[in-house]
Amino acid sequence: MITKEKLKDYAHKLMFDMNDEEYDTLLKEFDVMLKQMDLIGNIKDISCVEPMTFPFELDSVELRNDEESRNIEIEEVLSNAGSKKGREVRVPKVVE
Amino acid sequence: MEYEVTIGLEVHCEVKTHTKMFSPSLNAYEEMANSNVTEIDLAFPGVLPTVNYEAVKKAVKMSLALNCKVPEKMYFDRKNYYYADLPKGYQITQTHDPVGTNGYINVYVGEEVKKVLIHDIHLEEDTASLDHYDNYSLIDYNRAGIPLLETVTEPCLHSAEEALAFLDALRKIFIYCDISEARTDRGQMRCDVNISLAPKGSQVLGTKVEMKNINSFANVKAAIEYEIERQKEALNKGERIIQETRRYDDVDCKTYRMREKVESIDYKYFIEPNIPPYKLEKEFIEEIRKTIPPLQFERISKYINEYGISHYDASVIVKDKSVAEYFEKCLELGINPKTSANWVTSIILAHLNKTETSIEDLYLTPKMLKQIINLIEEGKISSKQAKEVFYKVVEDKKGPLKIIEELGIKQTSDDSAIRTIVQSILDNNQNLIEEYKGGRSNVLDFFVGQVMKQTRGQANPMMTSSIIKEEIGKR
Amino acid sequence: MSYIKGTIEEIRKAMDEKKVTSEELVNESLKLAHTYEKEYNAFVTICDDAKEENNVKDNPLKGIPCAIKDNISTKGVLTTASSNILKNYIPFYDATVVTKLKEAGAISIGKTTLDELAMGGTGTAAHTGIVKNPWDKNRLIGGSSAGSAAAVSLGIVPFALGSDTGDSIRKPAAYGGIVGYKPTYGLISRYGLFPFACSLDHIGCFTRSVKDVAYVLDCLKGKDEKDMTSLDTKTNFINELTNDVKGKKVFYIKEMLDRNNYKDDYDEELEEILNNFDEAMKKCKELGMEVEEVSFDIKLLEAIFPTYFTISCAEATSNNSNLTGIIFGPRGEGKTVEEIMFDARTKGFSELIKRRFVLGSYILQKENQEKLFLNAGRIRRLIVNKMNELFKKYDAMILPAQGAVAPTFRSEDIDKLSNRYLLLENHMAIGNFGGFPSITIPCGFVNKMPIGLSITGAVKKDIDVLNIAYAIEEKYPYKGQIAKEVK
Repeated sequence: MITKEKLKDYAHKLMFDMNDEEYDTLLKEFDVMLKQMDLIGNIKDISCVEPMTFPFELDSVELRNDEESRNIEIEEVLSNAGSKKGREVRVPKVVE
Repeated sequence: MEYEVTIGLEVHCEVKTHTKMFSPSLNAYEEMANSNVTEIDLAFPGVLPTVNYEAVKKAVKMSLALNCKVPEKMYFDRKNYYYADLPKGYQITQTHDPVGTNGYINVYVGEEVKKVLIHDIHLEEDTASLDHYDNYSLIDYNRAGIPLLETVTEPCLHSAEEALAFLDALRKIFIYCDISEARTDRGQMRCDVNISLAPKGSQVLGTKVEMKNINSFANVKAAIEYEIERQKEALNKGERIIQETRRYDDVDCKTYRMREKVESIDYKYFIEPNIPPYKLEKEFIEEIRKTIPPLQFERISKYINEYGISHYDASVIVKDKSVAEYFEKCLELGINPKTSANWVTSIILAHLNKTETSIEDLYLTPKMLKQIINLIEEGKISSKQAKEVFYKVVEDKKGPLKIIEELGIKQTSDDSAIRTIVQSILDNNQNLIEEYKGGRSNVLDFFVGQVMKQTRGQANPMMTSSIIKEEIGKR
Repeated sequence: MSYIKGTIEEIRKAMDEKKVTSEELVNESLKLAHTYEKEYNAFVTICDDAKEENNVKDNPLKGIPCAIKDNISTKGVLTTASSNILKNYIPFYDATVVTKLKEAGAISIGKTTLDELAMGGTGTAAHTGIVKNPWDKNRLIGGSSAGSAAAVSLGIVPFALGSDTGDSIRKPAAYGGIVGYKPTYGLISRYGLFPFACSLDHIGCFTRSVKDVAYVLDCLKGKDEKDMTSLDTKTNFINELTNDVKGKKVFYIKEMLDRNNYKDDYDEELEEILNNFDEAMKKCKELGMEVEEVSFDIKLLEAIFPTYFTISCAEATSNNSNLTGIIFGPRGEGKTVEEIMFDARTKGFSELIKRRFVLGSYILQKENQEKLFLNAGRIRRLIVNKMNELFKKYDAMILPAQGAVAPTFRSEDIDKLSNRYLLLENHMAIGNFGGFPSITIPCGFVNKMPIGLSITGAVKKDIDVLNIAYAIEEKYPYKGQIAKEVK
C-alpha cells in the first residue's frame, strides 16, 4: 500500500522535499501508474525473457586505450562551483 | 564459553593504469588538488564513461589469479547513493556479473595450508577525497574515477592470523601480477572486515559486525583481536551483539560504533546503460592467463617439496618476485638449490637490506654468482674469499674473475708447488714429525699454517693438508 | 528577398550564388528569434554574438544558422535544460554534435526551450515558461524539444537539434508541421547531451524537408570515441538519397488503425486522422511500394507506454543524481552537505520532475525492481524482437504520428488509460526501444492543425527510412512549409 508517508520517505532519500498538495498529486499519479503497470502484468510467461538494457547488440565494442590522457584547467573545474577555496570545492564540514 | 570466530574480508585495491577507469584523466592522485580531472570525473551534465582497456585486462588477470570464473561478457552496474565524495550520485561498479566469481587461493598460515574462498572480485571506480578542516571540508577529485578492484572473500577465515595471511598473499598477487603496487601506506589497499562470534559447534553464524576502511595490515590484526575480545566479553555477560558498523581507532586501538544498521541501504542497482557489454573472448582470456607468473604459494610449495628448502627460507625468497626470479635463475644455471638459497637469503638479501637497493639493481647476476660458486667448488677460492669477492663485485661493478685477478686472491691448487713448500717445511721440523707420529694431531694444523704463511693464504687448505699427510707418511 | 526561411538546400544555393551572406542570414535569424520570442518562448538563450568559426572547410552547412536544444552542452553558452537547478550553468565543454556543427561552419543562434530536463511531452514545463504552437497560440507545440520545433516551424532557422527519448523530436515535429528525425541509436554521439534515459536517448534534428535531414545527418553522424554506444557508418546520406522507392515493402499495424479499438473515445478528429492515414497509404502504393497490414499483439501495444514510462523514469532518477548544486548549479543552503544538496534539489526541480523521480526510484527499489523495472525490460525486448522480425520482411513501418492534433493549453486531462492514448499517441517509443531510425513528416491538416506520418525502419537502415520519407514528401505540398504562411 502506497501512503503519503512512504512517498515522503522516497522523496527524502532522493534528497528533496515537496509540499503537501504535491504529495497528494503524486499519490494519485501512483495510482494511474500502477494501473498502467498492470498492463505489463497482463503479459504472461515472460520471466524467461532477458530484460533489455541496450537497444541492440553492437557488433564490436571498443574499449578506451590507456595511453592518451588529458585533463582540464582548474578554472574550468571551479568555474561553476557555488563555493570554493584554493583549488578545491568547499562544502560544509562532512562528518564521517 | 568457547567461541568460533568467523571473518570475511572486502579488500579494495587500486589498479595501476595510466588513466582512470572511465575517463582519460591521469591516474595519479597524489599531485596538486584537482589537477588530474576531466568533466567526466566531475560528472558535469552530459558526460559519458569510456572503459579503460588496461584496467579490464588487469581485472581479468586478477580474476584468473584468484581462480575465479570469468563471465562471457563484461557488464557494469550503477550503485546509487548520495555522498559528497561521489559526483555522479552513483558509483559505476559490477554487481550482477562481476569479472570474477567463485574463486579461491591457497595461503600459508604459518606452515599450514589454508584454502580461502573468494566470493567475487569486481572492477569499479574510486571516490573523490575529502579534506576536513575546522568548520568546512574541501573536495579533491583527483582520486575520483581511479580504477579499483574489490575482492570479497567468503566468511571462511577464523582468526586474525588467517586474515593477515590472506591479506599478505593477496597483496603479493597484486604485486606479482603487476596489477597494483598495493601500497597500504599510500592507501592503495584498504580493507573492510566483517566479523562474528558464535558458540563453538554452532551451525549458525553470530551477528555480524562490520569494520570499515582499515588502512594497514597491522590495524586489521589489532582491530580483529580487539573485536574478538570485545564480543567475547559481551557474549559472556549475556549481552546481545548489535549488527552495526564500527570504526577502528588506531590511536587507542579500540573500535567504536559508527552507525547501527536499522535497515540496509537500497542502492537500486541496475545495469549501466552507457557501457555496452564487452565480450571477453576465450582467446583474450587465454592470452591474459599466459601473463600470470607463478605465484607465491606455488613457489613456496615447489621450493619446499622439490628443492628441499626450508619453509622459512622459501618464504623469505618469495617475498619479492624479483628475488624469487633471481633464485630460480640460479637454479636454472645449475647451482645447487640449497647453496642458492643460502646465498640469496643470507648474503644477497642482507646486502640489499643494508644498502636499501632492490635485486634488479644488483650488479652480480646469477651467472656471476655461478662463477663464484664454481670457484669454491673447484677449490680455487675459499668461502671466506668468495664473500670478499661478492662485496667487491657489487661495489666496483666488475665481474668476479676480474676482481679475483685484481685482488690477487687465488687459491693455489698446484700440487707440485705446494709439495715443494711442504717438503722444505718438513725438512726443517723433523722433531714435530715425530710428535705427530706419536699422536699429537694438532701438529698438522701447525704445518698447514706454515704453508699458508708462505703462500700468503693462497694454498688450498684441503689439498695442503692431504699433501702434508702424504709426505709425512713417506718419512 | 529573404532567404532565411528557405530550406538548407535553398539557402546553400543562394549562398553559393552569392545572393546572400552568412552574416545576413545570421542577422535575419536573430531578428526573427527576437521578434517571436515574447509570443512563443522558443529560446532560453539567444546568441546575439553568433558568428562562424574560423577556418571552416567548404561543406553544405557552412554559414547556415541553426538552433540547439538547451540540454546539449555548449561551451561558454548558458545551458539550463530548462531547469532551475541549472539556471546558471555555463559549460566549459562542447557536446560532440556542437563540435561537429562548429567544424562544419553552422552557426548556432540560440539555445531552445524544452520541458525541464527533457522529461515531458508538452513544452509547458520549462523554467522559463510555456512554448506555444506557431499554428495556433492556444495550443501546445509538444515536447520535450518544444523550442527547437517552434523555431523551425516559425522559420527562424532552417534546422535545429533536439533530443528524443520517447518521441520528443518526432511528436513536436508532427504538431508543428515540420520534419523530425531521430537516427539509429548511436549514429549520432550523445556525448554532451544531458541524459534523460540513456538507453532510450537520441540526438536528432528538426528540418523543413527530408533532404535537409540528410545534410544535417552527414554532418553529425559517426563513431565518437567519447561515446561507447556510438556507431560508424559508411553511408553518405545526401549522395544516396533517392525518391525511387519502387518495390519497397512497408507495413502498418492493424490494431493501431482498427477503428473498433477506439470505440470509447472516437470522434471526428480521430476519424480524420485515420482517413488521412488511408490516403497516405494510397500514395505509398502510387509510389510503387507494397503496403501490408500486419497484426501485432494488442497487449504488447498497450504496454508500450507503461514500459517506456517505467524504464525512462528509473534511468532518469539515477541520471540526474549529479544535480546537487555542489560542483555546478545554484548552491543550496544548509549546515551540512546533505542539507545543501537537499535544499538545492528541493528548490531546483519542479513538482513534475520530482514526481517522476519518486516514481523512478520506486520502480528501482529492490522489492519492486523485478516486477516493474525488469519486467518492463522484458516487454521492451519482446516488442523489439517482434519489430526486428518484421524488419526482415519489410523496409519500414508507417503509422500516424499521433492520435489527436496538438492539444490546447486548456485541454482537460486526457484519459491515460485509453487506447487512443496508449496506442496512437505513444507508439513512437518503439523507435527508442530498439534504437530504430524514425522520422515524422507533415501529411496534412486536421482542425487546421498539422498532423504527421511516422516512418520507422530497421537499425542502421537510416537511408531506407529517409528515402521512403523523401518519396512520400513529394506527394504532399508541405515541403519547406512555415507555420504562418500556410495559415
